[in-house]
Amino acid sequence: MTDTKAPPEKRVVLPVDPTRRTEIDKQRVPMSARPYRLLALVKQDAVVRVQKEPDDTVMTWPHLLSIEFFAAGMMSIFLLLMGLFINAPLEELANSNVTPAVAKAPWYFLGLQELLAYFHPTVAGVLTPLLVLVGAGFIPYVDRGNLTATRPSERKTAVVLFTMFCALGLILTFVGIFFRGPGYSFVIPYLPFFENTTPGLHFSL
Amino acid sequence: MSFLERVDQTIRRSPVWRSLFRQPYPNDERSRAYAVMNNVFLHIHPVRVRQHAVKFAYTFCLGGLSFFLFLVLTITGVYLMFFYVPSATLAYTNILDIQSQVTFGLLTRNIHRWAAHLMVFFVFLHMMRVFYHGAYKPPREFNWVVGVVLLFLTIMLSFTGYLLPWDQIAYWAITIGTNMGGYAPLLNVPVNRLLLGGLEVGQNTLLRFYVLHIMVFPLAAAIFLAVHFWRIRKDGGISGPL
Repeated sequence: MTDTKAPPEKRVVLPVDPTRRTEIDKQRVPMSARPYRLLALVKQDAVVRVQKEPDDTVMTWPHLLSIEFFAAGMMSIFLLLMGLFINAPLEELANSNVTPAVAKAPWYFLGLQELLAYFHPTVAGVLTPLLVLVGAGFIPYVDRGNLTATRPSERKTAVVLFTMFCALGLILTFVGIFFRGPGYSFVIPYLPFFENTTPGLHFSL
Repeated sequence: MSFLERVDQTIRRSPVWRSLFRQPYPNDERSRAYAVMNNVFLHIHPVRVRQHAVKFAYTFCLGGLSFFLFLVLTITGVYLMFFYVPSATLAYTNILDIQSQVTFGLLTRNIHRWAAHLMVFFVFLHMMRVFYHGAYKPPREFNWVVGVVLLFLTIMLSFTGYLLPWDQIAYWAITIGTNMGGYAPLLNVPVNRLLLGGLEVGQNTLLRFYVLHIMVFPLAAAIFLAVHFWRIRKDGGISGPL
């Protein structure tokens, strides 16, 4: 008895009628040749897609820091030149008995001092600065109209109001610096043909 | 290898140099990241910044320059403190001595004065820049509030420093300024006494303004600056472009 041991066929791939072979049949591989298994069917949506946003960043060194160092260097040179060529003002010793002809506050308070010429000191000197500071602090909590709008055209009210406020402050300070003289009276500097003229500025930094 | 190159290499390979600088000169992305991350002064910055943020015309470096001026003022101010006594009888003479006797005294006082004015100016400009970019909008609302506090502190630093030379401009400017406090509703008398330490600008006022100028306000400003910078990072970095 001849023991004819047929090699054990593990997988049989049924031949498909060549006329009926579809695309899937062409791709069919014997299971024995497949190094993988089907684990699960996943919907297209669930596949992890690494979506990389277009990278609009640059390295801090050197792109940002070089600009910062350059700006700081320019500022140092500017300060050095200012310090070398323009001396800080110093008048005579303080004397509580001699009121100077012109007594002006530092320039950042001149707008308030100018208001003092028009309003009661409580309004000009206390309530206005308080309102301005507290009001400024509340800007982000008041301007809630369109929280994503950053273009000036999208937030006209805010831009117009703020610009008007800045312009008002600038004008008041400007008047305080140039057009106020002895006793905080109205003067016109440099122009000798006016009645209330002064030869120079009554202002020091 | 030239002589200079050999000197350069010897210095870079020395244990002293290596203990100072842990990375070689930052040439590639990795070492550039380390250069920012591992440096105590630079690590307030992120390793990468958005491209629009490095455009000069977006920020004009206004906030950074305000902080730089704060540092300049601290250094020059500490130098001036060595030669200044907050006494109504000595202060003015001290200023004259600083200008004529002290080495670089005049230059230091000049720089301190001009940097102070510039800092107030730059803080104003920085605030305007932030407003026009709408950079106070969520999530940055609170950082704007911190900024307003810093504006107040900057002005108060400048104002308290104004009295210290004890000359006529200082005396009468502060007299005008503190008279304002006398008009505060309800609190007029206490506020005025608290500011002046008396009935008029005098020795007590000078000492109060001095302590506020060299200690209280700089410390407060340093703390708020730390919060301000921290919040820039925590609120997502510098705001987006228009």
